[in-house]
Amino acid sequence: MAVTLIVENLTFRYQSTPVLGGVNLEVKKGEFWGVIGPNGSGKSTLVKNMAGLLLPQEGVVFLEGWDLKSLIRSTLAREVAVVPQDTMTGFNFFVEEVVGMGRAPYQGRFQRESARDRELVRRAMELTGCMELKDRHINDLSGGERQRVILARALAQEPRLLLLDEPTSHLDIGYQTEIFDLLNRLNEEERITIISVLHDLNLAAQYCHKLLLLQEGRVYACGPPEEVITYENIKEVYRTRVVIDRHPLTSTPQVLLIPESREKDRLEEIPYRRLHFIAGGGSAGELFRKLCSMGVQVSTGVLNIGDSDWQEAKNLGLQVVEEEPFSPVGEGAHRKNLELLKEADAVVITGVPFGYGNIKNLEAALEACRAGKRVFILDDLSYARRDYTGGKAAEYLRRIKQEEGACSAGSREELLRCLKE
Amino acid sequence: MKIPDKRLHMLLLLLLLLLISMVLSASIGVADISSADTGRIILERVLGISAGEEVEDSWRAIILNIRLPRVILGLLVGASLATAGVAFQGLLQNPLADPYTIGVSSGAAVGATLAFLLPLAGLVPQVLVVPVFGFLGGGAALFAVYQLAKVGGKVPVVTLLLAGVVISSFLSAIISILMIFAGEALRGIFFWLAGGLAGRGWSHVAIITPYFLLGSSILFFYTRDLNLILMGEEAASSLGVEVERVKKIVLIAASGVTAAAVSVSGMIGFAGLIVPHAMRIVVGPDHRYLLPASALAGGIFLIWADVFARMFLAPSEIPVGIITAFLGAPFFMYLLRKKRHDYRF
Repeated sequence: MAVTLIVENLTFRYQSTPVLGGVNLEVKKGEFWGVIGPNGSGKSTLVKNMAGLLLPQEGVVFLEGWDLKSLIRSTLAREVAVVPQDTMTGFNFFVEEVVGMGRAPYQGRFQRESARDRELVRRAMELTGCMELKDRHINDLSGGERQRVILARALAQEPRLLLLDEPTSHLDIGYQTEIFDLLNRLNEEERITIISVLHDLNLAAQYCHKLLLLQEGRVYACGPPEEVITYENIKEVYRTRVVIDRHPLTSTPQVLLIPESREKDRLEEIPYRRLHFIAGGGSAGELFRKLCSMGVQVSTGVLNIGDSDWQEAKNLGLQVVEEEPFSPVGEGAHRKNLELLKEADAVVITGVPFGYGNIKNLEAALEACRAGKRVFILDDLSYARRDYTGGKAAEYLRRIKQEEGACSAGSREELLRCLKE
Repeated sequence: MKIPDKRLHMLLLLLLLLLISMVLSASIGVADISSADTGRIILERVLGISAGEEVEDSWRAIILNIRLPRVILGLLVGASLATAGVAFQGLLQNPLADPYTIGVSSGAAVGATLAFLLPLAGLVPQVLVVPVFGFLGGGAALFAVYQLAKVGGKVPVVTLLLAGVVISSFLSAIISILMIFAGEALRGIFFWLAGGLAGRGWSHVAIITPYFLLGSSILFFYTRDLNLILMGEEAASSLGVEVERVKKIVLIAASGVTAAAVSVSGMIGFAGLIVPHAMRIVVGPDHRYLLPASALAGGIFLIWADVFARMFLAPSEIPVGIITAFLGAPFFMYLLRKKRHDYRF
């Protein structure tokens, strides 16, 4: 079956305090989901509902088509394993005994463990690096070691769905990476579907295929990390401003915090929601990032595939009109560019040189300008060094500036200041 | 695997110790009968092998009608209390739980006292009335303590002990009032409440045996679930345990076993606390071994506590509950101070 878990209109209250309201979610087999959200947004409660540990007042959770309420616990325990947040136990078992408990759903009451049970327990301990802990007492371990033991116990259950509630909250980054690399391997190689509550947004963006962002018990956003971890979402849900950057190696979105003392240095909000850039050759790169981090929606075009601005725009997940490498701007791309220009609140022309290949972009900008769009020009390059069209480009730029009254800035800083006004 | 074998050996060793304790303790008393003769008399009764010419008939009467039932009763009461202690500690995930400290014994005592006082004696056989009333009283007390002590689905040590103290004092007051109305029955009730095995015979063995067998079998049946519950109720649940159902069944079974023990021997404290702790050191926390080991050790413990109770000031007797309290209370204090770290309370 393709679908592993469906949450339908789930509503949950503790006594009379509402915790979750109308949550819908569809998790497909083999996916790796992260559940994120501020403290008290209902992340743990949602996972407990998915595990059948709590029963919703309204709505249904289906596991492979079965209503969780209709499944008996031992059946459920063979399908779904849970790694809880609090792993303290009252009495001191050996690590091996604890991991062995993961086989309980498969064993009769007084059945001795089979060779297969022992093999699975050994394998779970090896995978999680618990082998050297096996003869130690669970309560003598550090938080990170205990967490790995509990994960091993969950793996011994041979689950098809693994639910985790902040599995690395006590761990240093070494263990964090280790655990999530392991989860990633389990997800890819063993095809275990994983849903994990996460506090660390960067970890979530790094490892999860899909994210569910909760706000006060409701789904605020849901989708791939680059759609969920955005400046707007984080600002709205976490009530804090952050810079969203890209991971230099994996290009997943990464959240950078802004300390209060730096916040003052930041530019004021820019009055334009959408900016379209006529750029290329690395003339825009830094501006893309700055504006993105300030929450401005940036689009650009037309850029040749492989151009350094194209690369940067792609990394930032911007809307880009692209053209084949080293080819002049074609009719199709030009039209698309005009559409984006129409949607934008203002246009920025960077200090990109123009040749016969990209002169169309300048034509497009002039057209937008005539239609009344506000245009900003970054004039940090002399016309002699930008115009390779025998005067055509220089002419266009002059017209944009003089006839249509575009704002011209000598440096990036000045441009930003202009944008602010 | 090495560990389970060691634990099985330990169980066999305890069983052996129990059998030796039974014979030895039955040979100790005012009438001087050697342990060899005691053994012969018991074997004669059980297997029909003649005990020989030199064994006097009065010895047979002393051993079979007076000492042996008392030893067996000690065994059953000790085993019951230790078994209930294991169950309560496991289920409440609380190392200081014991039938006595959590008020179940007091509740059972109120119930049993009521049963003595109500004019039921002629109508229904006592074997039913006293333990059933004890069970109802113990169950009610447990429910009250549990509700009082519960904090967010868990039962922390501190609130459990407080609730146990409060409910126990309240129940003691009820017993005191009942005793004012008791009239002639007062002396009997007083002696029974003090917790002892003096003057008990086969009829008492008959009362406790079915309850002990049924209750401890049920508890043994759920030992694996108890292990998993020690990992936390939610963890147990996700490992396939129907936690709420298991909790109810185990609490009922443990209360029933406690009530039967209280019905025949009054309030004997701390046996359910000391024995499981000692056994955890010997066989570890796995209930599949801990429960039978505690039952055996509880039997051994109470048999010898009773020997001490009847021999220390012989020919007069001390109630065995006083002996267990003398040993148990300091042990309890020790746990409260020293083991705080181990159990993280």
